[in-house]
Amino acid sequence: MPITRRSLLAAAASTAALPAMAQDSRGLSIALSARAPVTLNPQLTTLGADNWACRQIFDTLVVPEDGTFAITPADFRPALAERWESSPDAKTWTFHLRKGVAFQKDQGELTAEDVVFTFARQIDPSVVTSAKVLYANIAEVTAPDPLTVQFRLKRPDPLFCGSSIYTMGGNILSKKAFQERGEKFALDPVGTGPYAVDRVDMAKGITLSGHKGHFRGPPATNDLRVLYILDTTARTLAFLSGQIDMIEGARTPGWMDSIRRRAAFAVFDGTKPGSVNTLQINLTRKPLDDLRVRQAIRLGIDSKAIADAYGEMGGQLFGLNPTQFAGSVSDKDLPPELRYAYDPDRAKKLLADAGFAGGLAIPCFTSQREDYAAIMLMVQEQLRKIGINLDMKIVDHTTMQNDNRKDLNALALLSSSYPPVPTQVILEQLASVAEVKPDGSGGTNYSHYGVAMPGVDKLIQQALDEPDFARRVALCQEVERQVLRDLPDIGIITLSYVIARNKRVDLGYNVKSGYAYWPLRTAKIKA
Amino acid sequence: MIRVIIQRLIDAIPTALVVLSLVFIALHILPGDPAQAILGEQATPAQLALLRARLGLDRPLVVQYAVFVWDALRLHFGQSYMNNLPISGILAENLPYTIELTIGATILGVLMGVPVGVVSATHRDGAVDYGARVAALLGLAVPDFYLGALFLIFLSLGLGWFPINGVGEGFVDRLYHLFLPALTLGLIKAAFVSRLTRSTVLEVLGRNYVRTARAKGLGETRVIYWHALRNALLPVVTGLGLSILSTLSGSVAIELIFGRPGLGRMLIDGVATRDYPIVQAGLVVFALFVVLVNLLMDLLNVALDPRQRTA
Repeated sequence: MPITRRSLLAAAASTAALPAMAQDSRGLSIALSARAPVTLNPQLTTLGADNWACRQIFDTLVVPEDGTFAITPADFRPALAERWESSPDAKTWTFHLRKGVAFQKDQGELTAEDVVFTFARQIDPSVVTSAKVLYANIAEVTAPDPLTVQFRLKRPDPLFCGSSIYTMGGNILSKKAFQERGEKFALDPVGTGPYAVDRVDMAKGITLSGHKGHFRGPPATNDLRVLYILDTTARTLAFLSGQIDMIEGARTPGWMDSIRRRAAFAVFDGTKPGSVNTLQINLTRKPLDDLRVRQAIRLGIDSKAIADAYGEMGGQLFGLNPTQFAGSVSDKDLPPELRYAYDPDRAKKLLADAGFAGGLAIPCFTSQREDYAAIMLMVQEQLRKIGINLDMKIVDHTTMQNDNRKDLNALALLSSSYPPVPTQVILEQLASVAEVKPDGSGGTNYSHYGVAMPGVDKLIQQALDEPDFARRVALCQEVERQVLRDLPDIGIITLSYVIARNKRVDLGYNVKSGYAYWPLRTAKIKA
Repeated sequence: MIRVIIQRLIDAIPTALVVLSLVFIALHILPGDPAQAILGEQATPAQLALLRARLGLDRPLVVQYAVFVWDALRLHFGQSYMNNLPISGILAENLPYTIELTIGATILGVLMGVPVGVVSATHRDGAVDYGARVAALLGLAVPDFYLGALFLIFLSLGLGWFPINGVGEGFVDRLYHLFLPALTLGLIKAAFVSRLTRSTVLEVLGRNYVRTARAKGLGETRVIYWHALRNALLPVVTGLGLSILSTLSGSVAIELIFGRPGLGRMLIDGVATRDYPIVQAGLVVFALFVVLVNLLMDLLNVALDPRQRTA
């Protein structure tokens, strides 16, 4: 057996007792898988580790219950907004702000002007922000008075709080601080959140301290360190030694079990669904334009086995929306012909019917990132058994993104975290307007669905024009069924984002679902 | 001496230009879009185009190259694409950690390697020599990340003698955090230095002047450490220069596994995110290091070998 860092770690754990050392006096610490802070401007951050810090520094207008995703409009709770209402057509949303909310670092009180400033940047095409697609439906944001903000939407959105408000880019900036600091705001941010940034050190991570004027009161633990340790072994050792309270897990099969065996003090918090892993089939490539070949691929992939390989982290994906989201479909909702239980014999027969009794080769590439590579290697192995040889290259993540965007991939695995909005994954992966273009100017519909063959554009448009949440959800489920018939895109698994936590740390709530970062306002070291 | 310095610096100019050109070409051949890396998978095409224009990536490659070379010659590297921080500041933050690691590893490597090499040579084919040679072979064969992981597991995690990661605060704490990573690299360097020292000491021990020194009745310690070792050190110093450069580039794995910042980690990050200014600046600094270390080795050679002063 080759000796790897992971096997070294296993060997060490079997020989050494791994006591949880006493917590030092520096408060809570969390180590995340990244090299160094990039930006703490929530409108620009795409790095998971930076998101963790931003979540503590800023607040949004509304929030779900801690540790959950808000799936329906009724699931949201007040935060910076005390209450809100929408017009019957779900095109005008009015938020009434809490009075007396203080920004950190003596930057004054929150007003509607700060909220307008925040969202105006998101809808201004001349301002570069990272997730503009989430705010594209906002036509205008205004402040009728200092404590009221009104959003006018282009189309109805009964789940506006989920699609645009409770998002990373929906965190409210201090207009004054942003304008005064300019680009320096990125590493010296000011929000209303429970923690304020004391220091950002490219070498040592981010040091934060409690914002005493937070509208819910100061956090349970005053000092918080967000550390950036890319190497999984280094991060794990730091956790096992008790030096760090929480670490980001490795999204590889067996990681949780290996830690559990070695550290009795470890508990795990994981989001469901986490990332949504879908395999887009390029319909412009022969023979992938043949439905029988796509059906064979679907039947030849045992997504349950892949999910099981990840243990508690993995979840089976039936359609494209995860089962935890409204608009999803699961086995029991589907007619038998759309259930696609793993059936290699039927897959081989379909391939033979399509003229590939002797098998076929499909060139493709994927990212070297651990989740991408592990999933695609399992898919490759499974497809080999039905006679499909994935001639797969593993490239660095940026290269994969770049080449996917240039329509160079025949089978593109996409691992993304989506807001719990039933139209989001459909819009980004299936709408013809999002079709990938060879010059890189297209979107993330890598299958060309809706262009290379009739798609679901009409259903998508109906869903987007539907103000009633239940009817919108039903339309999204119809989209899912049509996609299962056409198979341009295959749901593989969901993969939880996992944090290993020393059990001496009490989060104050249980993590069930949500984005890949959660609030630490109530976290404290147990006596 | 000054002539040597000036000559070496003049020699470095075409090297630097070739390095700059290769760096530019390599970065632009590499697939990947900095704008995509910054804005993520969900970025809209319009946003990507806007950001590319802001970063100057929509200009013709020739123009980008000319700007890059002109800026590099003035050591003006601009700002990071990712966070707009001045590159000079990022370099200033990372470089000291790499330098201290390289110096620490070199000092430990020389302190361990030279005596072991001398003892090995003076006890040729004895038990000490065999032991030292086996140890050196092991040192050369074991990858640095493996050795680092072993140290972390047994010395830091098992025994709790050293910190698991980080760089420490204040001089003493910083040295404490530096010791284990420097020891990891230092042991590998010691293996190289000891083998080199052994062979060069063996060579000079057979020379006439050593025989003469012994014939004069000088003690063995004086013969070896004053007469033989001084001459034996010349090739060791040259080898050490190469070894320092390999430590510099090989520090990446150690920086990762010990959770240390540094130039190597900065470069890897820059490549992953296609942050061209960071990579360009990092590689130029590496190139400067190569020039400077070579210069330093030349000067040390001149200091150790009087014949070269008049050459």
